[in-house]
Amino acid sequence: MDESPPPPPDDAPDTQTPPPPRTIHTGSPTDFLKGVVGKKVIVRLNSGVDYRGVLSCLDGYMNIALEQTEEHVEGNVTNRYGDAFIRGNNVLYISAAEEL
Amino acid sequence: MASQVLPLELIDKCIGSRIWVVMKSEREFTGTLLGFDDFVNMVLEDVTEYEMTPQGTKKTKLGQTLLNGNNICMLIPGSDGPES
Repeated sequence: MDESPPPPPDDAPDTQTPPPPRTIHTGSPTDFLKGVVGKKVIVRLNSGVDYRGVLSCLDGYMNIALEQTEEHVEGNVTNRYGDAFIRGNNVLYISAAEEL
Repeated sequence: MASQVLPLELIDKCIGSRIWVVMKSEREFTGTLLGFDDFVNMVLEDVTEYEMTPQGTKKTKLGQTLLNGNNICMLIPGSDGPES
């Protein structure tokens, strides 16, 4: 076993293994959500009401926090909120309003 | 023994192609399927939403969209929706 390389010291950075590729785009819902944070989005609820704003954060339940939120009902702005939290069970879709 | 094809394997084959999504309510979507998860939440691109109302069908164009799987009823692979 003389040919086998010695194990790297514990405190040395691991130079053998490249970092996992972060740019691979599988198109899965999780990847979409990672890519859309900080972007302008349209969130439509099951009731048909739209909320347009900047997506500040969200979780696996599709609970959503929006900034600079505009509430749209049948195409008309009915309300504006600085911050808004939307409970995920009401969400029909989250659509990117700008290029990802 | 015939080999089993799971329903979600069928949907997996549709990634990259057009798909027609029919919701439980009077609402449908068409788009290019980019991905989905175990809940059949779907990521679609170049989406058209169709809302069927007594006043007629309302069409909405959307970009990349994550569609909640909770209200999805039926998926029709390879179809471009109610107008095709």
